[in-house]
Amino acid sequence: MSTWQDLVTASLIGTERSVVPPVAVPGVPTPADAPADPAAILLDRAALLTVARRGGRPPEQAEPLPAAEPDPAPAVSQAAGHRLARILSGEHPDLLTEWLSAAVDRGLRAPAHLLPALLDRARRVSPADPELRRLAAEAGGSRARWLAGLNSDWKFVTAFSLTGDDAWRLGDAGQRRGYLTALRARDPGAARELIAANWDAAGPDERVMFVNVMAGGPSLADEPLLEAALDDRTAWVRKMAADVLARLPGSALGQRMAERALGCLRLARGIGGTHMVASPLAECDAAMRRDGITPSPGAGRSQLAGQAHLLLEVIARTPLDTWTGAFGRSAEQILAVPAGGWAPVLFTGWSRAAMAQRDQEWMTALINWAIADGLPGHPSGAETLRQLVRRVDPALAAPGITTSFLAVLPPAVRDAITVLRFRYDMLKELDDDHSAG
Amino acid sequence: MAERWDRVRVLALAPDAPSQRAAHSLASGRSWLLTGAAEPGALWGECRGSAATPYRTVVDLAGPAYRCSCPSRKFPCKHALALLLLWADGSVEEDADEPPDWAASWLTGRAGRAGRAQAGEPGEPKDPKTAARRAEQREARVATGLGELDRWLCDQVRQGLAASQQAGYGHWDDIAARMIDAQAPGLAERLRALASVPYSGAGWEGRLLEEYALLRLLAVAYLRQAELPSPLRETVRSRIGFSLRQADVLAGGEPVRDHWQVLGRRDLEQDRIRTRRTWLQGRKTGRPALALSFAPVGQVLDDTLTVGTDADADLVFYPGAVPLRAIVLTKHDALDGGPPAGDTIAGLLASYAAALAGDPWLDSWPAVLDVTPARSPVPAVSDAAGRALPLHQGAGDCWRLFAVSGGRPVTVAGEWTPRGLWPLTAWDEAGRAVVL
Repeated sequence: MSTWQDLVTASLIGTERSVVPPVAVPGVPTPADAPADPAAILLDRAALLTVARRGGRPPEQAEPLPAAEPDPAPAVSQAAGHRLARILSGEHPDLLTEWLSAAVDRGLRAPAHLLPALLDRARRVSPADPELRRLAAEAGGSRARWLAGLNSDWKFVTAFSLTGDDAWRLGDAGQRRGYLTALRARDPGAARELIAANWDAAGPDERVMFVNVMAGGPSLADEPLLEAALDDRTAWVRKMAADVLARLPGSALGQRMAERALGCLRLARGIGGTHMVASPLAECDAAMRRDGITPSPGAGRSQLAGQAHLLLEVIARTPLDTWTGAFGRSAEQILAVPAGGWAPVLFTGWSRAAMAQRDQEWMTALINWAIADGLPGHPSGAETLRQLVRRVDPALAAPGITTSFLAVLPPAVRDAITVLRFRYDMLKELDDDHSAG
Repeated sequence: MAERWDRVRVLALAPDAPSQRAAHSLASGRSWLLTGAAEPGALWGECRGSAATPYRTVVDLAGPAYRCSCPSRKFPCKHALALLLLWADGSVEEDADEPPDWAASWLTGRAGRAGRAQAGEPGEPKDPKTAARRAEQREARVATGLGELDRWLCDQVRQGLAASQQAGYGHWDDIAARMIDAQAPGLAERLRALASVPYSGAGWEGRLLEEYALLRLLAVAYLRQAELPSPLRETVRSRIGFSLRQADVLAGGEPVRDHWQVLGRRDLEQDRIRTRRTWLQGRKTGRPALALSFAPVGQVLDDTLTVGTDADADLVFYPGAVPLRAIVLTKHDALDGGPPAGDTIAGLLASYAAALAGDPWLDSWPAVLDVTPARSPVPAVSDAAGRALPLHQGAGDCWRLFAVSGGRPVTVAGEWTPRGLWPLTAWDEAGRAVVL
């Protein structure tokens, strides 16, 4: 309607310098008692046209979007979806990766309406965590890929759907890693050959990535590659390889570490009953360094601190069955043996070993011990407990904890229990889905 | 001690999403040096912050009211929210000692003020003669104010709207303040909202002219209200800012019982007052309704109407040419909702046109549509007949709506406005309501 534009133009210039255009709406008579002021006439005509235009607005046209492919994976239950929403809104945000990988493992997908928030979160995390992006893309399924086609901020989602050799030959670092991880899950031997064939030509970042991929469910077949990596020219590769070997059951590195460890710690029977005696190593030799042990940090520290550090490093890399075998006791029984001033070091060392080796029995025993006895005085005790409750299988640890006096517990213990319960409920909700679907 | 709140209720108090996230990360035992709670409903705590001394936070659950020594200008601040979250989780010891002095002095001060306020509540029926005289005075003031507004509007158009872009907020704040003096708060609100129009992008001149024209229409309608039919007169008066007492609404209207579907809601904030607009539609009568609730910033908004459910309730409508606003008189039952029946775009436009014929100032109308969202040429929704309506720019990217739809038709409820559709709720393939 051009008359409306004429009115707008006249009002923009002002009725002092322009003429008010006439207006007619079909079926509406011109009012007889029009005001004298041209400005008032203009406003009255504009009011008439405004309402006529609003009431008579014609519909527009829009270009339809292609529809997303149907997703074969079922959606998680409403309860699980609510929990994902809570995590995305800031409650225990560090558990997002676990929620996603638990959903992916169970073949479930995240609810569609949470995908924008999920993809935004995955985009914001630094590319240093490609795992979160991969999991978000996978849990988001075809709907996430469809959204990524509409919003370039989420392009990373489509990167994970590059399939086959293309991802390896043409992809960026994240895609190559995704390809290799998938290949390893499907055919570990082929993945190993691919790594071995590419090792010498690969740069340091890529060699770190190779070791990272092997960290996912390592087997003794990986040992030669990893053992060779202990002599790599890049320090970070050496360190990572040592970490992976330390948690590989039956590895030669584990055996070497066990021999060192058994020389450091023994049980003694005294008048007051059995207790733990520690005789830590005095120095860090070249062989220990090759196996990933870092020498005591800083020369200014006391000798005792240096020894404690070495003891912790050794215990953290020692296969846990070394202790149960040598002492003939369970994890719980070993923890019950008084260790005097060494208790905090042992707690942290065993905790690191239990987390690396994913030993549920030890993790559960360590958590119960920390909660029952209050935390050991070591400054890293609270942080260690924090990590333990995020890695233990909550189905083992959570039901055993009975306390109705959360408020009177030390804050670190209280937080630990909250996290355990949160994770317990979270995995249970996803399992319920799984059995139902 | 007051009954413990759940986390959702606590988080509803947050002024924005970043505050919610900040509160979550503070709601762990590590940040708090001490916490406590005491009868009848007081919480306090000392929280480590960036300053050398810890922040001291007190919450009075009745109210609720907050006090914190942190410099944050958000209200309630993240510390108060985190303290409430801790309490909601059962992590605050309830039979603690007496509150420390710094908390006790504020709590006692509040209790004292509350007592005085209750005692000084203005008694309802004053002398009827005084009341009548006051009402008369107000009418006279409003009439003078509207005369002034009309002259101001004509001045704008006489001098030309082109100058508005250089005018600055004060230009509209001044005339809005005059309307407050004239006891026409509804007009003041409309005028203040106009300050952003000149910066709203292409076509702003047209939008400003529309608003000025409708304001003059309102002023003229009031000055000639004697000639108007009674429902339209009520509409005019309520838009100017004459509010009816609830008791008068209830006395004047017949309750309408229906299964009211709670279609969606939108929270707005202006001048430290939060308004919640909840759109309803009767399953039997098909009638639309709008329930409003108000709360100062930092207070809980009414939460009894849950989006996606049905309420078997008696509603009483405010009088007007297009009765929309309603009071929930009695809520008999809450029922599982299920998606509402979606209309076509032609149907929505026809119902809005019919409503406009009764109330020309009506600029938001409930929409329930079966549509597919689209991106081009502008973000829009389009129905099976190929008709499309744009989405309101203020509603943002609406990614949630797109995610729920996946390019397929969904039922969407929202507010239809002259600027486009503001989507509020969508129903996913399982028939569950998703708040957008």
